[in-house]
Amino acid sequence: MEYGPPPLFNQGVSARARLAFFSLAAAILIVIDAQVNALDVIRNGVEILLYPFQRVLLWPRDVVADFGGYIASIGDLNEENAQLRKAAVEQAQRAQMAGQLLLENEQLRKLAGLRERITPPSQLVTALYESRDPFSHKIVIDRGSKDGIRAGGPVIDEVGVVGQVTRVFPMTAEVTLLTDKEQSLPVQIARNGLRAIAFGGSEPITLELRFLPSNADVQSGDRVVTSGLDGMYPADLPVGIVTRIDRDVKDQFARIILKPVAGMSKSRLLLVLLVDPPPLAPATTGRESAPNANRSERGANKAARR
Amino acid sequence: MNPSVKQWIDRLWGSVRLASDAVADLRPPTLSRQLQHEQVLRPVRPGFIWATLVVAFLLNLLPWGRAIWVPDFFAVTLVFWNVQQPRKVGMGIAFVFGLLMDVHNGALFGEHALAYTLLSYGAITLHRRILWFPLSSQLVYVFGLLLIAQLASAAVRLWVGGASTGWWVGLLSSALGAAIWPLLHSVLLAPQRRPAKRDDTRPI
Repeated sequence: MEYGPPPLFNQGVSARARLAFFSLAAAILIVIDAQVNALDVIRNGVEILLYPFQRVLLWPRDVVADFGGYIASIGDLNEENAQLRKAAVEQAQRAQMAGQLLLENEQLRKLAGLRERITPPSQLVTALYESRDPFSHKIVIDRGSKDGIRAGGPVIDEVGVVGQVTRVFPMTAEVTLLTDKEQSLPVQIARNGLRAIAFGGSEPITLELRFLPSNADVQSGDRVVTSGLDGMYPADLPVGIVTRIDRDVKDQFARIILKPVAGMSKSRLLLVLLVDPPPLAPATTGRESAPNANRSERGANKAARR
Repeated sequence: MNPSVKQWIDRLWGSVRLASDAVADLRPPTLSRQLQHEQVLRPVRPGFIWATLVVAFLLNLLPWGRAIWVPDFFAVTLVFWNVQQPRKVGMGIAFVFGLLMDVHNGALFGEHALAYTLLSYGAITLHRRILWFPLSSQLVYVFGLLLIAQLASAAVRLWVGGASTGWWVGLLSSALGAAIWPLLHSVLLAPQRRPAKRDDTRPI
């Protein structure tokens, strides 16, 4: 080809026509993907194709991390060891108490004729990598649909809620963090049980409580936990701590900023709760209907209007 | 295509070219500039093009985490081959790799595909112009092209998902992408710069 006669006139399809074709194709794909989940089959196929490469490319980072851990000084390790031992003693005490309380609670619930609380089964997963998208906060975990993970499952770490599984591939799954702008979950303030919905904040690594009146009883430093009203997240999982409250007289709602508690540790181990998605809420349900996986801002507004 | 749209695209490209030329032309022509294209390059091997594109793509797959300033290696390599071999590397390749990138990043299906297609079109249209300039001035063009691609991707996100603060930090990756252009230029052209026949009698 390099040495053949130059194709003076035959240049194939013109560059502009190609640009128009491929841009149009991309635009159509974007619109379809933004509105419906019709492209998941293609996405799954591509993900299976990419999976071996992704896993192999994680290896250099893990080697570096392992090496870094290897040369960690004895001082650090001793300190950590002491802290862990202290924590273990504290936790042993608490675990004993928890065992007693659990028994007591069961008995009381039986006495009061309440339904017993069920702890959902869970799956330990490792976070593989963070998505490099400046617009969304997503991580990819190393378990997928073959391990029973389903879209919508809450993801927690040792201190609180991290996010929600929003897309499941055969080998991996995508977890949208709570700090993502399009993520929401029903919460309550631990101090007084005031219920609200937490959305991903517009500032990085924050959450926002929306739709609370400006005179709502919220204080800086309040602990915010899941309310469990959606049937997806179990109740009383720590979500965040209120850091700032802007009460604007002109505005109907207060602007309440939370700092998420989870996801601060360096450990990449997470727990996915394998809960059954709740049955579709009837149309009369209020604002705190189940936050569906992967729903867009528009979807959220729609749900709020319902 | 609609004539008004065509006119509009022409005008946009015209202004991009004018601006880039103005910056790139600050240096007076020198002897080295004329000598630059003296060396006749050997024909490129298609396998090499593919291999470099795949390697660049794999570099993008590395777990960079939230370091969004890391340059998009694939985009820069794509621009390079679009400029050097516009008849061999076209928008189709850009589109397909863009879709793969979308799946990896969990982005909207088609977001990177659109960005890479635009990038490829820009590089193919400007390839004669870019090659004429010395390497240091080519950076300006490359930066502009990468920036346009990133802004296209950002526009898609803003349109679909609403604004979020701090996304412009990602634009730094365009600057870093342009910064690795000279390195890329010397590495990727090295196989074509080899002499046609090895001279065994030469001492070195």
